[in-house]
Amino acid sequence: MDILQTCELTKHYQYGVFKRKNIIALEKVSLSIKQGEIFGLLGPNGAGKTTFVKLILSITLPTSGSAKILNYSLGERALREQCGYLPENHRYPGFLTALDTLIFFGRLNGLSGSELKNKSISLLELVGLKDWVKVKTKKFSKGMLQRLGLAQALINDPKLLFLDEPTDGVDPIGRKEIRDILVDLKSRGTSIFLNSHLLSEVEMICDRVAILNKGKIVQTGTIAELTSQKLVYEIQVSSVFPDTLRMKLQATNFSFEIQGTKLIATCKEKSELNSLIDLIRAEGIGIEGMVQQKTSLEDYFIQLVKGKSAS
Amino acid sequence: MRLWGMIRFTIGETLRKGTLLFYFGVGTFILIIFASGIGQSPEDSNVVTLFGNPVSKQSIQDHNVVEFILVMLHRQSVSAIMLFGIFGIAGLIPSMLEKGKIDLFLSKPLTRGELLMARSIGAVSGISINLIYFFLGIWLIFGLRIGVWHWGFLSSVIYVIIAFFCYYSVVAIVGLITRSTGFSILLAFLFSIISWGLEKREQGLYVIWDNSIYHRLLDGLYYLTPQLSAMLENSTRIVGEMPLMQQSVEFTIIPFVYSLLATSLLYFLAVLYFSRQDY
Repeated sequence: MDILQTCELTKHYQYGVFKRKNIIALEKVSLSIKQGEIFGLLGPNGAGKTTFVKLILSITLPTSGSAKILNYSLGERALREQCGYLPENHRYPGFLTALDTLIFFGRLNGLSGSELKNKSISLLELVGLKDWVKVKTKKFSKGMLQRLGLAQALINDPKLLFLDEPTDGVDPIGRKEIRDILVDLKSRGTSIFLNSHLLSEVEMICDRVAILNKGKIVQTGTIAELTSQKLVYEIQVSSVFPDTLRMKLQATNFSFEIQGTKLIATCKEKSELNSLIDLIRAEGIGIEGMVQQKTSLEDYFIQLVKGKSAS
Repeated sequence: MRLWGMIRFTIGETLRKGTLLFYFGVGTFILIIFASGIGQSPEDSNVVTLFGNPVSKQSIQDHNVVEFILVMLHRQSVSAIMLFGIFGIAGLIPSMLEKGKIDLFLSKPLTRGELLMARSIGAVSGISINLIYFFLGIWLIFGLRIGVWHWGFLSSVIYVIIAFFCYYSVVAIVGLITRSTGFSILLAFLFSIISWGLEKREQGLYVIWDNSIYHRLLDGLYYLTPQLSAMLENSTRIVGEMPLMQQSVEFTIIPFVYSLLATSLLYFLAVLYFSRQDY
């Protein structure tokens, strides 16, 4: 079931004295997020990732297009009641303590009383700020503010959580803790929308990702779909490659490289792999193992974004 | 609860600002001065003394002494509060609009209109706490020290708060459009001068622009904006007659009604503008 579905969501910013100049922040973005999944939106700086989230939460108003989120249309107050948001570069009132900050944002979400206080304390414990409950946020480091921001985003038990660079400024242990929290939330049915530059992190926790470049979606898919599209196979054989096999391989369309008893072959289609194996087996050589080389999400992302920029 | 949460937060923010704490300190200092300075003559309990010196009716052109002191105190303190109060809270709307803060506020289940109104009410409440503290203090000092419980003086604080609320609507809309504290303060002061000019237009601006079209335009402007000068004068009239006035003028609620209507219009326009902005 789709929890978020956008249809050709577009945002143009007008600027200049008579607002005649136009910047395309998002162009006809259609995306869907399923319930209980972690969805990553990737893209270089200025691609439109933050604008997309702001449109969903009505912080920015769309130029055209529509969206259905948790069965609500854009701009409905009830939608925001069920969403949590950790913005990038968020600023909390420095005169409030961590606990007061959560209580304040809880009140804005319609919560109150001892239930709100207890919930705020338990969330601060969850994000590792147990010992900082009564400390004013002006004394917090960037990483601590990120943790507080995550707690703030969770104060209303959101069904859909939007996180913009949630681990920015957080140390490696903190990042792991945040990842664990997100995975735990996912297991409890919360859908998570993640904007991040840290591709390795996205690769670790996201079920599906979309790549946004210059305001347009250039690719969408599961991590596996995006990272296994390189048809390069590493074949480990039982003995060295005889010259006859080398000659036969050179006569084919495969591009290959032999490293001792290992053959690294690049196929154009998956079906070519069988022909390759047949060729090796016909020489009486045993195959000991085979691994499909994967492109990391980072490689794929760079390739895609640079490729699009060049074209 | 949501609105109250925002109002409460804004009150807290205003009270933690150094400027309002400073005003609180100044208010307390004046209260201490009055508490220690005002009294009754030991010879005649009808004679009011200031630091031991009797204040004679002749020296204030036969005015009621207590009323005279309270009217002067009212006029001076209200002018000071209008002037310095704006300094203290003009930045609250622009600070709400700062990147990283506005995203958080707008992502919560509050409409933009509610957010703006809660912020404005909270800001005015911060000043109101200062005002009530000062007026209540003066009222108690006069009651306890010389036995005059001047209810007019105490109740005038409500009208001063209404006047400040209407005045703040100008600051709020300017802050919303320019996102600048400096501009908000500058235009608020400019508006207070314009408001005074519009109030006295028959003796001033009408003479300069002696044309019926201009007169109508000035009238329109007068009724479409908060009548700050008229509200402050009327709030003082509740306390007593203005010294040196040729004829006595009765208190009227009309400027407050017109100003509240004009303020509603300003806030309506402000909300309309706010609702169409991207952050």
